[in-house]
Amino acid sequence: MPKRNIVFVINEYNGHGGAQRVASILAEDFVQDGHNVAVLSINEQKDESSYFSRRIPVTVLHQDGYRAPIAKELSSNLKALKFKTVTKELKRRRQLSKKRKEIQKFFDAYGQEEVFVIVIQVWGMQWIQHLLYQPNIKIIGQSHESVAAAKSSHRYKRILRYYRQVSKFLLLTEKDAEYFQGLGFSNAGVMYNPSPFREEIEPDVLYKNKTIVSTGRLIDDKGFDVLIEAFAKASPDMPGWKLHIYGEGPAKSYLQSLIHILGMEDHITLKGQTADTQSALTASSFFLLASKAEGLPMSLIEAQACGLPCISTDCAPGIREIVGEYNNGLLAPVGDVPLLSRHIKRLATDYGLFFSFSKNAYEHSKIFDKQVIKNQWYDLFAELGGQQDGK
Amino acid sequence: MVSNLKHVQKKPKLSVVVIAFNNELYIEEALDSLYDQTFKDLEVIVVNDFSSDRTGILIDRYVEGKPNFKAVHLEQNSGGCSTPRNTGIAHAQGEYIMFLDGDDWYTIDACEKLVAAIERTNSDFVAGQAIRTNTYDIWYEKQIYSIERVNINIREFNFLLFDSLSVNKIYKRSFLDKHNLRFPEGIHYEDVVFTGKAYFLAESVSIIPEPVYYWRVVENADVKSISNRRFEFDNFRNRIVAHRQYDKFLKESGFILYQGHKNNRFLRHDLKLYTNDYLEFDEDYKVKFHALIQEYMHEVMDEYAFIRLPERDRIMYYLLYIGDKAAFQDYLSYLNGLPGSMNRIYAEGESYYFRATKPGLNDKKFLGINEIEINYRISDIALDRDQFSFNVDAHAESVDPSEVSFSWVLKNRQTGDTIQRPAVGTRVVFPLNNMAPGNYYLFLYVSHQGNLHKRLIKKSVIEELPNLKAKNESLSKEIFINHKNSFAIKVLPLRKVDQLKFAIQRRRKKYKSNEKLTGLKEVLSNYAKGLFGKLPLQSNWVLFESHMGKQYSDSPKYIYEELYKNRSKFKYIWVFENPDAVQFPGPAIKVKRKTLRHYYYLVRSKFWVDNQGMARLAPKKKQQVYVQTWHGTPLKRMGYDQKKTPSEAALEHLKTHTSAWDYFISPNPYSTAIFRRAFRYGGEILETGYPRNDVLIKKPEIISQKVKEYYRISPEKKVILFAPTFRDWDPNSFQKTLADIKTLSKSINQDSVVLLRLHYLLSDKIHDRDLPANIKNASTYQDIQELYLASDVLVTDYSSVMFDYALLERPIILYCYDLEEYLSRRGTYFDFIEKSPGPVCETIDEVISYLGNPESLTSYNQALKQFAQEFGKLEDGQAARKVIERVFD
Repeated sequence: MPKRNIVFVINEYNGHGGAQRVASILAEDFVQDGHNVAVLSINEQKDESSYFSRRIPVTVLHQDGYRAPIAKELSSNLKALKFKTVTKELKRRRQLSKKRKEIQKFFDAYGQEEVFVIVIQVWGMQWIQHLLYQPNIKIIGQSHESVAAAKSSHRYKRILRYYRQVSKFLLLTEKDAEYFQGLGFSNAGVMYNPSPFREEIEPDVLYKNKTIVSTGRLIDDKGFDVLIEAFAKASPDMPGWKLHIYGEGPAKSYLQSLIHILGMEDHITLKGQTADTQSALTASSFFLLASKAEGLPMSLIEAQACGLPCISTDCAPGIREIVGEYNNGLLAPVGDVPLLSRHIKRLATDYGLFFSFSKNAYEHSKIFDKQVIKNQWYDLFAELGGQQDGK
Repeated sequence: MVSNLKHVQKKPKLSVVVIAFNNELYIEEALDSLYDQTFKDLEVIVVNDFSSDRTGILIDRYVEGKPNFKAVHLEQNSGGCSTPRNTGIAHAQGEYIMFLDGDDWYTIDACEKLVAAIERTNSDFVAGQAIRTNTYDIWYEKQIYSIERVNINIREFNFLLFDSLSVNKIYKRSFLDKHNLRFPEGIHYEDVVFTGKAYFLAESVSIIPEPVYYWRVVENADVKSISNRRFEFDNFRNRIVAHRQYDKFLKESGFILYQGHKNNRFLRHDLKLYTNDYLEFDEDYKVKFHALIQEYMHEVMDEYAFIRLPERDRIMYYLLYIGDKAAFQDYLSYLNGLPGSMNRIYAEGESYYFRATKPGLNDKKFLGINEIEINYRISDIALDRDQFSFNVDAHAESVDPSEVSFSWVLKNRQTGDTIQRPAVGTRVVFPLNNMAPGNYYLFLYVSHQGNLHKRLIKKSVIEELPNLKAKNESLSKEIFINHKNSFAIKVLPLRKVDQLKFAIQRRRKKYKSNEKLTGLKEVLSNYAKGLFGKLPLQSNWVLFESHMGKQYSDSPKYIYEELYKNRSKFKYIWVFENPDAVQFPGPAIKVKRKTLRHYYYLVRSKFWVDNQGMARLAPKKKQQVYVQTWHGTPLKRMGYDQKKTPSEAALEHLKTHTSAWDYFISPNPYSTAIFRRAFRYGGEILETGYPRNDVLIKKPEIISQKVKEYYRISPEKKVILFAPTFRDWDPNSFQKTLADIKTLSKSINQDSVVLLRLHYLLSDKIHDRDLPANIKNASTYQDIQELYLASDVLVTDYSSVMFDYALLERPIILYCYDLEEYLSRRGTYFDFIEKSPGPVCETIDEVISYLGNPESLTSYNQALKQFAQEFGKLEDGQAARKVIERVFD
């Protein structure tokens, strides 16, 4: 395999979202295979640890903490005598053109060698757009969320503006890719997120754990309140079963008091952040996700990779690409406590169902296998590479 | 048993009928959703339609120990939903009744909400929202289910006809019994009939905008296997069977008035499902489909049921209705960019139609097309500093390829500049010198029968878009796709100065476009006009205009040329719409029409010379002298003489013009009388002959040579001048002319060439490359007089050109295919047939036979001479001189 130059462009390399997680998994694997990997981070968070290991060089574009604001029109603000806005905009423009030059230098260091640039979030495109016309550079743009989620932010407009001409535009699910193909993105395709681990555990071992598990940041959007209520409702009919929630976040105290109100202290535990997701999963029986919006949730992929059946809200097209209804898991409309609760009860009390779901879950999870996804990336590099005339 | 007895004694308020057939995956979930209901006073009757999987076992296990759950197992499979539901109704004891399918489920409070609503409103039935699980969209949400609707009736709210779901509703048992309303057994699409009937029979219906029902839609890629095809026609037949039952009900129950609304639903909802899938069906299916749909349509509707439907539906349904299978299939092929059995798209004027196999009187009402389909692909794009090129594959489906021509255009959005390239061969090459900064968007122009169809090129039609960029010293050019997916060449200045200029220019352009001479500019302009008006007249300034500034031609031209060659004291101003496009001899200056500069010269020139009308451009002063040369001997009726008396406003306009004229030039006494009467003109008439005809008397050899050289016609060739008039009542006349030209081109002999002269309104519809080699488009040639001199024979119709041309005493053929219509619409001043200077032909073939047989024209020599004598006896080649002596000396 040829040695590749690969650059990840990311908003903040030391954030803790799914996007950084996925990028770090890929980056470590690429390095492992001997490729030349670098990270170009637009900004950074202060004093936060990073998923990326030390062997991956990180270049931070704005080390002084400057964060580019949204672009504004000059003349109208000038007419309205909004000098503060005008000054800010002028600074943004100055910074942009300065940083673009730095980026050019960064890439000039590669000479004529082929470079694959993976843009994790579309925000970074404004600094590297001019690289589109450099024949040795292939830009691969990603969007780590569903169309619906992107549409509610200005990321959607940026996608329309910046991803038309990239070599490949990768979405997380077929449905999202189809949507953009319908808008004329002939470069749209699908790339799943890889599972960082995969471990086959016998269903009876899992079942005996009598533990339902959920992970994620403790924020409103993740629907942990719905999840707690659904479990509480089912709990009397499934003695001995516990619910473990891993993660930290602003909603923690609210969730804690909800558990208290429902009298579920003995059954539901907020376990805090864990560094070892894999162990948390293998010590459980099945996985629960009650989110309101998602892309292709990493948590479901990881749970499935350990043979855990999943119960999830049907909150994004990506969900059905992981969870096969009545094959390896169960689905409910967003926020539907009664149905989630019935699903929990059914899966906890019907071992036959649990057994087949668990077997199917592990089987299905191979489409997210790290090795499989990595090879898809290599295929993509091979497909895009070697066309020096800019095609 | 005891508990069951107890139950019988106290009847439940609500009965829910659940039907199940092979729903082993979902039946427990469905039953759970009932067991969990917040409303408890209900019984559940589960009817198992002889499932072959574990459904029956699961049901029995579920109802065990639940006194209000009852299982009924049918002895054999009924093959539908009707029998199990009716069985359920027979077992039900509740005051109200609801239905649930074994793979769906209710929301937890569905029963509570629906019972409350039906008791509150006392409706015959109440409906809540049904949500489909593939999209989580609510069934007909916007149209029906978005708001609460209390006690409505389908006869006031016709859209309810589109709702054929029976399961999201609660019914009064007494309502069902009163009308003996049950599900029709032995047919599919029982819901269409049941729900349709229920809506019509109900006195009162209510809608609650709350989710009650989850409708599980399992999306499965391999549902349609080929082995299923055979059954698909049964599917369509079943739908028709259901609709016939529905129709019969409407007819027999006194609701026939609403058949039209029901038809609308059938067309827009039911039939559409099948026309969408049509291409996937096999031939056997198609034959049966056409037979059945035509039969069914003729039972309940006529073609006017489609007239207000969207274009595609209208056309498809009309073709189905008239049983034109071939045209229907061709239409689908056309829509899908596939070749059909024949070319069916045709134009009449600007309107397009799809051609039925056998023409019918009403076809045009139903087969009109708004925009024709054009298919095109682009590949192998190359861009360097000098040129931009790509391969193309473009065609207009179902249109005669010989009638279409393609060209490619780059248009700069910022400056409006365009570069056009004809599509010759498969590769299009744009030279890229002379580019201005801006985004040049790429268009495909398709010219067909005088209509121009433009298509903006999107990235979707490009195979493998390369990101290319090229630079020279001052500009960079790059491939660009905008956020709307449109393709462009982005041209940017490289030098800092140019960048600044471009930025300013862009801003200006932005403001210009939404500012139409308002505010300050308008004030300034009016101020300037007022100022100019006060300036003194210049007694030696002469202002000329011909045909509203469109040409350098006609009598003003010949007066000007005579004047500047013989008099030196004058300053000449010529007014043109597009001054840059006109070249002419002499000292005159050119000004652009309707500019401030034009106004300046208008109000300051002592003399105005014009052949049409410019009195409304500026108030004429008393001391100004206006020479109206007019533009031809009258043949068709004008002004006050018109068959249809002109409007007040038109006469008012005419008066403004005629009262401004100081001299009016007339070619002969016949015209003098007519002008006086038709224009109610009392001023001086100069009966001098036409200055423009001086050249026809003198016949300088050099002019004929000039024309022939211009059109690259070798001197020995015979030249036919073809000059048909503009028929403003017939949008089709242009296409008729095009067809005639084609016939002419094929039929005339090798030694002949046709010079085609069209009205200026039509001239921009034709592209030179659309024309055969032996036809030269002379429509934009400035001076028709010169064309006369270069030609050997004239073919025309009702045009005044015949009066001038007759002076040459060369043969004239009158081609009047619509003589009667013309006479009845327009009217002429004299019997045109009787006096005609040549043969009057009704078909192009007659014209061709005369052209091919010049001796046959000699018999008209006498008539021609007489005609020239009658209308041209004043023409002696001195008209311009006479006018000048009278007016300018």
